[in-house]
Parts: sequence; structure tokens; C-alpha cells
Amino acid sequence: MRIWAGAIAGLGLASSAFAAQKLGEYQAQRAPEQVYAKVCGYCHGRNIGPILFGRNLPTDMVKAVARQGRNGMPAFRPTEVTNAELDALATWISKTPAKAEEHGK
Amino acid sequence: MSEFELNRRGLIGAGVLGAAMVGLASCDNKGTLAPGVSKADFAGAIKAMRGVVGDEWVYGDADAVTPWKKNDIPDPEGRHVPVGAVAPKTVEEVQEIVRIANKFKQPIWPVSTGKNMGYGMATPATPGQIVLDLKRMNRILEVDPQLGTCLLEPGVTYQQLKDYLDENNIPLWIDVPTVGPIASPVGNTLDRGVGYTPYGEHFMFQCGMEVVLPDGQLMRTGMGSIEGSTAWQAFKWGYGPYVDGLFTQSNFGIVTKMGMWLMPRPPVYKPFMIRHDNMADVPKIIEAMRPLRVSNLVANCNLMMSASYQLAMFKRRNEIVPDGRPLDDDSVKKAAKANGLGMWNTYFALYGTEDTVAAIEPIIRAQLTASGGEVMTSAEMEGNPWFHHHQTLMQGGLNLDEIGLLRWRGAGGGLAWFAPVAAAKGVEAEQQTKLARQILDKHGFDYTAAYAIGWRDLHHIIALLYDKSDPEQEKKADACYRELVTSFGKKGWASYRTGVNSMELVAQQYGQVNRDFNKLLKNAIDPNGVIAPGKSGII
Repeated sequence: MRIWAGAIAGLGLASSAFAAQKLGEYQAQRAPEQVYAKVCGYCHGRNIGPILFGRNLPTDMVKAVARQGRNGMPAFRPTEVTNAELDALATWISKTPAKAEEHGK
Repeated sequence: MSEFELNRRGLIGAGVLGAAMVGLASCDNKGTLAPGVSKADFAGAIKAMRGVVGDEWVYGDADAVTPWKKNDIPDPEGRHVPVGAVAPKTVEEVQEIVRIANKFKQPIWPVSTGKNMGYGMATPATPGQIVLDLKRMNRILEVDPQLGTCLLEPGVTYQQLKDYLDENNIPLWIDVPTVGPIASPVGNTLDRGVGYTPYGEHFMFQCGMEVVLPDGQLMRTGMGSIEGSTAWQAFKWGYGPYVDGLFTQSNFGIVTKMGMWLMPRPPVYKPFMIRHDNMADVPKIIEAMRPLRVSNLVANCNLMMSASYQLAMFKRRNEIVPDGRPLDDDSVKKAAKANGLGMWNTYFALYGTEDTVAAIEPIIRAQLTASGGEVMTSAEMEGNPWFHHHQTLMQGGLNLDEIGLLRWRGAGGGLAWFAPVAAAKGVEAEQQTKLARQILDKHGFDYTAAYAIGWRDLHHIIALLYDKSDPEQEKKADACYRELVTSFGKKGWASYRTGVNSMELVAQQYGQVNRDFNKLLKNAIDPNGVIAPGKSGII
């Protein structure tokens, strides 16, 4: 999973490149970029939550904050972001360099 | 700690890493069990639920249930803490869980996506409940592009639905609440939430339900129980008593499918912002807007936002006034002006063709200019983050900008919505604003509020913002909230919806006859009282 996530990150695919949910089907496992774009990235890097990229954040910390919430941040349960998705997401966040388009204060 | 830079706003900090290292180890449940439920009952229910959904999707100890405990409302006594969580993936699993709940008399608290921010999120109204987390039921079952309808499971988010429509080039809009990306259309509609487009009164645009009843039976409302009917999502009323309302803001069943109407994307969408310069302009604005709303010339739920609410989205309080000082109107006005805002900012849009929009625009411009407002459009406001926020929402767009409210007073993240209803009359709004400010001032909180102007009603939406990391402030917020509910109630203004912290209090205001009727239904439908006791004050 981690290798796969890294490969995707390396290719830099946009979220729209991933298979969409089909009618009548459950949501399939999402790549880290997708989870970030559809959940985290609405706040992080958009002045609401702190910037996460480019900080080498420990993966255990990313996962703990996601599961527990932190101050104003809601908690994200394993029913929303699965354990497998969160593992890949935490690794990807930890390794992703800072992005110029993100901002925070 | 030195290995990474602590964020300066303290949103990530010490303690979290320690918690991560402890992990989600199994331990005995330390929460308070529900009345009449023994440890053996609870353990029996958890074991039986594991047999239905598998070990991975049952969380039966104090650590494992942590992600369901997060809450932003004031809860100084820690009453709103679940003792477990169970996450089914199918209707059949929900039915089995309901049967188990009855067998062990173990109450379950259903949530769709559990993101009812400022109302309690996934947490229950009373202690000892197991959260029935329906997020895994996330299938979009049907979308009919011709009728503009859909059929959804409760775990579908607005984001999922919008992505589906966009990816399949279906020209239908969604209507979002403020936390659309992570919230559920089913859950929000069941709580009778409100959005921003002409389909903003969500329950009005609901059509057909599938419900697991407290005895485990499956019922479909409207046309859904007619074999072969194609009108389940097209005709709301069915035959005989209309029962869909019984399953909103209630605990009479668990909604596992819901039909909704979706608005066709109009050829022309033109958002407006009306700026008024003074706090005292409240009645003028309401009086000007009402005829436009009642006639449906302005068809969407409009938001009349106070400058302080707007500033709280993207600013912090100590950027406006120093810590410890009251938030005075002069300081707010100065900050508002600097950011292109008035003291009241009313957002609505016109939807239609070029001809219809061009025909209506002069009428609304004349009406609102006469009220003392400045009529602004994207021509004047392009690039303004507040205008952009509302421009996005009024066409069913997604953002989470309003989570910024939780940073207004320190990083502690406390929010409780107080949402009393009134008729859409200027004088009522004026009195409500005055009373709210008196009570908030007394307790040391700010009037960060808006009016949602409905077809004939006002939802006065007051964000009680406090620092939940400060136990004293949490206690004060709790006291303030209760005084708001009680004092408004004495004037005839009660909430349209409330958080788990105040469901009992608000239910008292709606009167004993109403409470007894709900109780009668509850006893008949759910004699063991296992579905969400305490929801809307119904036990």
C-alpha cells in the first residue's frame, strides 16, 4: 500500500484521474491525493488549518490527530477514512514537500 | 518535539504524539452505561454485534471509541460520551443490530456521517449509548437526470454526490450545509438542516425513505412500498398519513435510504451581496427582503450575515480587539470596512435565464437600495473571500471555510449553534438581536450571528464561540447557552434544531401535550427505548 501510494504521489496525478464511484457501488479505497483533496485540503493550506506539507510530520502524529481531532478540527473515524487510507495518507503527507499554492498563517 | 516545527497556532501540539504512542489498545470500558444496562448486557451486545459486522467494525472500549467522542459543544459534565460504536455496511446488518439492541436493552445512537458540527457531531444525547455509525453505507443508489432525483444511503457525503454528478456530466445541483464535503445529505435532511440554493429547506425536497423500525422490520414511506412503483422519488405523500416527518429530528426508526430532489442547473446564476452599514439596520433589511422571498422573486434561502460572524470565519478575535476587551461595534465596523464588508451582509442569488434574471434584477435593486443597502455583484466583489464563500455555497459548491469560526477565541475549538425561529418580521428580528446581545455580553461572549431568511420565517443562527480547552470558559458557554434558550423561549422564540446538550431543555419549551404525544409514539414504536434515547428530548 505504501509503495503504491508513493508511486501515485510521484506521478503527481490529479484527483480526477482516479476511478469515480459508480452507481450502486460502495466507495472504493481512495489514494492519498484524493482523501487530501476531498477532506483535509479544504482547511489545511487554506488558512483554516495548519499547513501539513514540507514538515516531515511523523506519521503516527498525523494519524493520531486525524482520529482524535484537535481543537477546532473534527475527528475522522475509520468509517470515513479507513485505516488503510490513513496509513497511506500519513506517509504521503509526511513526504510531500511544501506547495506554493498552499497558504496559512 | 524538536524534530518538527510545532504549528504556531497550536492546532497540533504536545500530547497528541503521546496519545498516538499509547495507541488504541484494548481496555475495559470505563464509560457510564445506560440506565438498566449491566456490564454483562453491554458485553453481550458488543459480542453479538461483532458477530454481525466483524471485529474490525465494533469499537467497545474507551480508547477505541475515541474518534466518536470528539465534540465541540459545551459539555462540562461529560454527559455526551458514547460507550461504543458499531459500523454496519448493509441494511440487513442494521436490522440485526437493532434486534441485538432490543435483546440487551442497549441503546444505539444512529449517525450518518457524524459531522453535525456545533450540534454534537456523533455524540449521543444521554450517557451509555453505542453509536450506530452508518458512514460505511455510502452507496449512491439512483440518480434520475430527467426527474432531478436521487436515492442515497446515509453514509454518502455531499462531496460524493457532487463528484458523481460532475464526473457523469449530469446538470443537477446539490444544496449544501456549511460543512458539505464531510456531511451527509441524509443526515442533514433528517435534522432538518438548511442550505443556500432554492432547494435550501432540505426536508421540503426529500422524497421517500426506507426505515429500519425499532422492531427490526423494514418500512418504505411514500410510494416505496408499492411493488413496481417508479414514483418513490417523484411523489412525496403516498397514501394515508404522511409519516416521513416522524423520522426527522426523532428516534422512531433508522433511515437507511432517502430520496431527494436535485435542482436543475440554471442557465444563469447571478449572486448578490447587499451591504448595510449599521447594526441597527436589521429591521430595514428584513422588511425589504420579505416581499422578495414571499413572492419567490428571490428564491433561495438568503443569509444575512453580521460582520462579526463574517470576520470570525477568516480572522481571529485578537486581530479585531485586544484579548479581554469586549468586541465593540466601532472596532468591528473598522475591520469590516477594511475587508469590503458592511455591518450586515445579505447574500442571495438570481437563478434563471438571461431574460428572467434581467427582468427581476431592477426590482430587487430598487427595493434593496431603498432600504439603505449597497447592491454588490461579482463585478464589484470579485476576489473578496467572503463573497467568494457565499458565491460558492449558493450554487451548491463545497468548502469548509466556516470551520474557521472555531479559531475565533483561541485554538480551543468550541462552537454551539443557537437557532431560534421567528416570523420574517423586522420588529421580531430587532428584538431578537437585542436580547441575544444582552445575554452574550453578560457572559462575555460575542454576537457572531446571521439570519437565514426563509420563505416566511427567520432562523436566527447564533454561533456561540468559546475556547473549549479552557474549562472555565466551557462552563460559562454552557450557562450562556441555557440562558439564551430559556430567555428566548419566554418571548415565544424556540429553536428549530438544537445540539445534544440542550435537546431536553428545548423539548420542555414545546409543551407537555407535545411531549406526551411523542412519548406515546415512542412507547408504542420502541417499547425498549433502544433507538437514540434523548433525541429531541424523547426518551
